[in-house]
Amino acid sequence: MEPSRGLSAPPGRALGAPIAGLALLAAGVVALPQLTRDSYYLDVATTILMNLALTMSLRLQVSTGQLNMAHISFMGIGAYASALLVTRVGISFWAALPIAAVVAALLAFPIGGLALRVTGPYYFLITFAFSEVVRLFFNNFFVDLFGGPSGLVGIPKPSALPWFGRALTFTTKLELYTLMAALLLVTAAVLVRLEHSRFGLVASAIRQGDLLAETLGVNVFRYKLTAYVVGSLVAGVAGAFFAHSHQVLHSSDFGLEPMVLLVVFTVIGGTGSVWGPVAGTVLMTIAGELLRELHHYESLVFGVVLILTMLWAPDGLVALPGKLARRRRVGVSLAP
Amino acid sequence: MSIDLLVQALLNGFGLAMVYVLVALGLTLIFSILEIINFAHGEFYMLGGYVTYYVFAVFGVNYFATLGFAILAVGLAGVVAERLIFRYLRGKTLNAFIVSLGLLWVMQASAQLSFGVLDKPVPSAFSGIVRAFGLVISVERLVVSLSAIVLIAALYLFLRWSRPGRAMRAVAQDADAAALQGVDIELVSALGFGIGCALAGGAGGLLAPVFAVSPAMGALPVVKAFIIIIIGGMGSLPGAVVGGLLLGSVEGLGSLFMGSAAVNVLGFLVVILVLLVRPRGLFGGA
Amino acid sequence: MPLELRSVGRRFGGLQAVADLSMTVAPSTIHGLIGPNGAGKSTVFNLITGVIPLTSGAVFFKGERISGLRPAEICRLGIARTFQATTLFREYTVLQNVLVAAHLLSAPGLGSALLWSSRYRERERRARERGLALLQTLHLAGLADQVAGTLPHRDQKALALAMVLATGAELVILDEPMAGLAAQEKAETTSVLQRLREQGLTVLLVEHDMKAVMGVCDTVTVLDHGLRIAEGTPREIQANPAVIEAYLGVEEPGA
Repeated sequence: MEPSRGLSAPPGRALGAPIAGLALLAAGVVALPQLTRDSYYLDVATTILMNLALTMSLRLQVSTGQLNMAHISFMGIGAYASALLVTRVGISFWAALPIAAVVAALLAFPIGGLALRVTGPYYFLITFAFSEVVRLFFNNFFVDLFGGPSGLVGIPKPSALPWFGRALTFTTKLELYTLMAALLLVTAAVLVRLEHSRFGLVASAIRQGDLLAETLGVNVFRYKLTAYVVGSLVAGVAGAFFAHSHQVLHSSDFGLEPMVLLVVFTVIGGTGSVWGPVAGTVLMTIAGELLRELHHYESLVFGVVLILTMLWAPDGLVALPGKLARRRRVGVSLAP
Repeated sequence: MSIDLLVQALLNGFGLAMVYVLVALGLTLIFSILEIINFAHGEFYMLGGYVTYYVFAVFGVNYFATLGFAILAVGLAGVVAERLIFRYLRGKTLNAFIVSLGLLWVMQASAQLSFGVLDKPVPSAFSGIVRAFGLVISVERLVVSLSAIVLIAALYLFLRWSRPGRAMRAVAQDADAAALQGVDIELVSALGFGIGCALAGGAGGLLAPVFAVSPAMGALPVVKAFIIIIIGGMGSLPGAVVGGLLLGSVEGLGSLFMGSAAVNVLGFLVVILVLLVRPRGLFGGA
Repeated sequence: MPLELRSVGRRFGGLQAVADLSMTVAPSTIHGLIGPNGAGKSTVFNLITGVIPLTSGAVFFKGERISGLRPAEICRLGIARTFQATTLFREYTVLQNVLVAAHLLSAPGLGSALLWSSRYRERERRARERGLALLQTLHLAGLADQVAGTLPHRDQKALALAMVLATGAELVILDEPMAGLAAQEKAETTSVLQRLREQGLTVLLVEHDMKAVMGVCDTVTVLDHGLRIAEGTPREIQANPAVIEAYLGVEEPGA
């Protein structure tokens, strides 16, 4: 037995964990439709998958120590871009999806570049200001293009794809679930791969000590901006999916409230590991659905849960097993 | 366009801006001491509104006595919140964000459950209008603005001259150094959080007769307060005042040319313009 | 001359922390910077490495002006440093700390990391090997998988040094490398520094332990109140009356 092993391997970075984690995620995603075809469950599951793409990409940015409150705006940019490309320009969803993601990523350069000149709470507030400007822009300007307060309507579902002589359609809830599942698994594979590469290693080092990283030759700004742009690209993909699965867009879909939920999922799950947002998003969404029964007490209970979780597990849910194990180990070693 | 119209628009903008400065001062005071952003700040404002509704509108106590009571009661609630929760979160911006969000939901839900979801109108304590130099202002707005200015001045004097006020500034500048010089950090932190919340409670009391009282009433002033402290620079008290004046004048003038929805964009555009030039706000450190 | 400071000054508000400091650090030497508390030693390090901007003068490294560059750019040119309060990536293992520091020498691009190519894996494997070899020379190899934040003080000091070396720097700047070490550990650090000099590296260090400074340095510069008051070999410094008055007068030279 090696007593030091568990303590020495930082959470989520142990060898083999990335492949096992991805396999587990894929298994869960594939298993769900075998268990139920109920449209309510499929809806919730599809939303979870879309939110996973958003929280996992948000985590990539948080891993450099920066909480980007404008993350949801890049989902919005992707959503509006894809919707307009299909309805106004007339290209297919499959061409609009990558273009929308690239548009989100391109806009991430100037916005991220400006915001990343500051850190900590300043960054937090600046990105919040950006997100409000983007939301109010969609709501109040170019109303005949973006639909204004009444929203952008009439967005078609993703068009059919030819597949070995037959057409794959994306109209039923199950088909849309499958599409989002495929998008998420690719995204997750990329993000997990990135996390366990030298890029991920250096990115999380910046969070632990940005001045130290800088004096060791790390171009801190470039790493942060790269994380920002890659994260925004993923958010753009999620946005394009959202636009064509919901078929209606409102600026409030990309406002403070959904953004706050993403942050809650991510931080409650734990930002120290790539799997934190996965745990947080799945558990908190299920908890939220169960709490619906409580009606008026829903947000009361939800609020109490948030406060207690953060006080007891400041590093998030994924750090909890390690923390408990350590406590138990200490308890054993103190025993005679 | 006449000069009178411009000045009138500026005056309208300043009136409410002074109250938002109160909210912003509380936020920035808490930030400077605990290094956290309290997202439930608007809910302490809401609490001040409900205290005013019950004490003034229901029980008919004198308005200014009610205001004083609201400030004390909400300040006390702030001290309790700091002792129970926020003292464990000093410097942990991300965790404090989630916790204050939780507190926001708890307080809003509690308000809904105990006071109902409907707006509660608070009758105006003052009526009539004042005319001077061709300008028109309602007595109520005038009292609200002047009261806010008095509270801002009181905060300034407290921080400048009183012992606990000086201790707060020392902690805001360098908590470790202040602790070494014998400042009781725990006490300062509880008091600072309490005073920050008390200012929000006072603002809620001031605006209760202007708008109605409702569980979600805290959202608007807290967004304005965020804009103000980003413009002015986080942790800077003069910055909050200047930021408030700037926001008030831009919104006041903006309302001459555009609808209220578009005016809301203006504040954020000012934020981005200021941050392009000074990333930490007008009065923020380098 | 690898490092040259020309009339470097730094003012904080009304305080002149460093005034008109000129000094050169010769290649492959160990150069000590000493002076009483508040003499401006750490500020000089921060000025050289770009952590804080200087208010007057200029710094040159291998003939190239480095003042005004960002810390990362200065590191790229071959200068790396430790901090007085030993700073590490506390959540990372010892080896991971070294790998972050070594990224300049062997950082693969984003694309190749994602493609997980055989060339990428080969590079990663070699980076790990180099990191482990470096840890071996500093007696840290056995701790490679330990979390840095849980290490005892002396191992943290050694790791900070390992990270500076992993950047491939030609000039290493050490802020109190002996602080808090036992006599035996100081002797080990001294021999490590001498070995670095033999390998052709240049060392600039701030240290309070006079015996260690006088024992290991080739040249010593003395600062007092932001001013350079003496420079020379340890023997000359120990005999310098200005130094004895300003600084060593408090305790016997070589004590």
